[in-house]
Amino acid sequence: MSYEPRIIAFLCTWCSYTGADTAGIARIKSPANIRAIRVPCSGRVSPELVMSAFNQGADGVLVLGCHIGECHYDTGNHRAAKRLPILRSLLAFTGLEPERLRLDWVSASEGERFSKIAIEFTEAVRSLGPIHWRVDPDERKIVCKSLTAVQEILPYPETNCAAKTDAIRQKARELLVNGQVGCVIGYETSQRGRTRPTFVYSPEETDRLVWNPDCSNNLTTYLPAKLQLKKGKEPPKPIAVVVKPCDSKSINVMLAENHFQRNQVHALGVACEGIRDSEGNMQVRCVNCQEAVPIVCDTLISGDTSSFIPRLSSYAKEEISELHNATPAERMEFWLGQFDHCIRCYACRQACPMCNCLVCLYESDNSTFIGLGIGLNEKRTFHLGRAYHLAGRCVGCNECERACPMGIPIGLLNQKLAEEIEAAFDHHAGLTVSPSPIVTILSGEYKEG
Amino acid sequence: MSKSIAEKKHWLISQTELESWLDGIANARTLIAPRQVSGIMRFCQVEKSDEIAWHGKTQKTKLASRPVMSIKEIFFPPTERMFKIKKNRQEIHLEETYPDWETIVFGVRPCDARGVKLLDALFLDTNPVDSFFARRRGNTTLIGLACKDLGPTCFCTSVGGTPNDSHDMDIMLYEKDGDYVVEAVTEKGRFLILSGEWKETDLGSRQFNDKEHFPVPEKGRWPEHFNDEYWSRISERCLSCRACAYVCPTCRCFSVRDEIIKPGEFERIRCWDSCAGENYRRVAGGHKPRAEKSERLRNRFFCKFYYYPEQYGLGTSSACTGCGRCIDVCPAGVDITEVLMDLEKSA
Repeated sequence: MSYEPRIIAFLCTWCSYTGADTAGIARIKSPANIRAIRVPCSGRVSPELVMSAFNQGADGVLVLGCHIGECHYDTGNHRAAKRLPILRSLLAFTGLEPERLRLDWVSASEGERFSKIAIEFTEAVRSLGPIHWRVDPDERKIVCKSLTAVQEILPYPETNCAAKTDAIRQKARELLVNGQVGCVIGYETSQRGRTRPTFVYSPEETDRLVWNPDCSNNLTTYLPAKLQLKKGKEPPKPIAVVVKPCDSKSINVMLAENHFQRNQVHALGVACEGIRDSEGNMQVRCVNCQEAVPIVCDTLISGDTSSFIPRLSSYAKEEISELHNATPAERMEFWLGQFDHCIRCYACRQACPMCNCLVCLYESDNSTFIGLGIGLNEKRTFHLGRAYHLAGRCVGCNECERACPMGIPIGLLNQKLAEEIEAAFDHHAGLTVSPSPIVTILSGEYKEG
Repeated sequence: MSKSIAEKKHWLISQTELESWLDGIANARTLIAPRQVSGIMRFCQVEKSDEIAWHGKTQKTKLASRPVMSIKEIFFPPTERMFKIKKNRQEIHLEETYPDWETIVFGVRPCDARGVKLLDALFLDTNPVDSFFARRRGNTTLIGLACKDLGPTCFCTSVGGTPNDSHDMDIMLYEKDGDYVVEAVTEKGRFLILSGEWKETDLGSRQFNDKEHFPVPEKGRWPEHFNDEYWSRISERCLSCRACAYVCPTCRCFSVRDEIIKPGEFERIRCWDSCAGENYRRVAGGHKPRAEKSERLRNRFFCKFYYYPEQYGLGTSSACTGCGRCIDVCPAGVDITEVLMDLEKSA
């Protein structure tokens, strides 16, 4: 028997589903490979639905909605128009042939158009052959591959942090004495000599605060919970937080998403010369960093910025282009090898200031998008879904990658999507207080393709 | 496994002999050993002994010289299928899916072996016996490797362990001037030993470089710290991820769920879970008895040093083996040794 692709078509109930009906009533032939799923709007088709279709063995996924301007909900299809191309490039980056996912528009009267698209898509998928997306845990043996693009190792320069430490302590003391803030979130050195987050509530404790080349944590992660309004309680006092240039951008994203008000946060922005990794070299994100001075900043802890080294190499870019040049099968092999290490400990999610949903979609009991298992399919869906949710929001602090106990290059996914968002919408997360472009409607910035 | 051990012997083998012995094992059975895979060291299946991440032969790992994950995952994997359900019209078939392959684990550190021993208290020594754990335990032989030094975050000697403890192994290896002294600990271990080919020797001295011990609060004293303000202070930086629990050799919580494999085929799986997660303790109606992260972090320490030892009769021993993995992986710098020292001080 010849190969018959299985195609899942998400059809918007107002236009495309009716369009398919029109094709049927008019007796226009459409391929029998298509299984139609009726959705209220193409904007409803979340990446989880698409991935779950692929995870369950679909060879192709077709999403059809109303033409732009004809949406029953005015702008639902704008969201589909923005999101699905991003999802497609993410899936392609991890090894899916991009032709297996298609978004198009069919109105209620366009029976012929529906049939044409259905035939085209079915033939395109047929020519690709059976899909190898779903991993059978009983059969597959994972080979872990590394990329050949070599990370440029930059020894960490000698820096003097004493002046900055003093300035942070002094300002923190001042803010606490004046009662301007209720808490200062900064860094301290543990007994073991590790630099870690600390919370200072009184002026006497401010001597704990330090600044050094190991201040890696993005402290803004703690802000939403600390500034949350609680029923029957006084609104929390403003909080001062020590931020590096990269971290400061996450404040802008959180402001755009209304997690707190600007006056609730006092940013102690530190002019940063880069942060060390555990081996004493410059962290990858810092090698690529372009900002020496924080973008969101109420007090600038300047110190000496002369040793700041702007943009020396583009490590992540090389890795991304290496994956780009690989075949889909090689890309899939690479990512599966990486995701195989994942233990689903959620350290990446918890360390991320942008991952602040009250209940994570991938963890809620009634989520049928993804199983609870710690298997390859589930882990891949989690990581891709998380990367997608961060598209246009990730500020590139790369804390997820640092927090990962298994050393998975999660940052590559975020970096890839940041590039896609930049190309499509000219948007850089956190530079201004603006939401991710993929949650807003089209305003002419979107380029087809 | 008691009487014949009385006549146990020791052998001296070289690195080459050890490697060819392991090659032989890997040919016939499943050999699991520490292996360097894309930047991290992990217990993985190896087909040849040169795939093993030999200490000193490979470059320094990201963390200490022990694998990131403990050997817990060999006996209690992250996800385990408990049975398969096949539905065909009116008929429903249940299919048992017991693991039944023989596994040899090489390079087990005493802290990890002790961790598995501690898990026995729950899975094997308390009814009902966990048949999955029991099968894996029965089919697995542990070849231990004594540590000569304590790593930067290790503290086994403070919680009652020893870096050369052979109690929970089947075979124990001690490094000695570039060679290895092999000790047969159990009958199961003796079965693997090529006694005819190897040179017999004495056990000799089994020295290791200890480091300063710190006092651990006794089990009976933990309840008095339950309401301490300390927990909310120490937990502020905690991110509520589960890295500490998942790398821990003795954390053993799991969740059970039925999932679809494909139309008409389902499986019941159990997968790791951890008290650090916010929804871990959620009950019907949405109430969360441990809603605050301070309560959740406190639970982790209480479980290690009070609940588990109390519930499963570990005596004075705690459920912490001092491997220090949780210290290494914590992205926010929560340090179990610091917590223990602070509690000891506050008493």
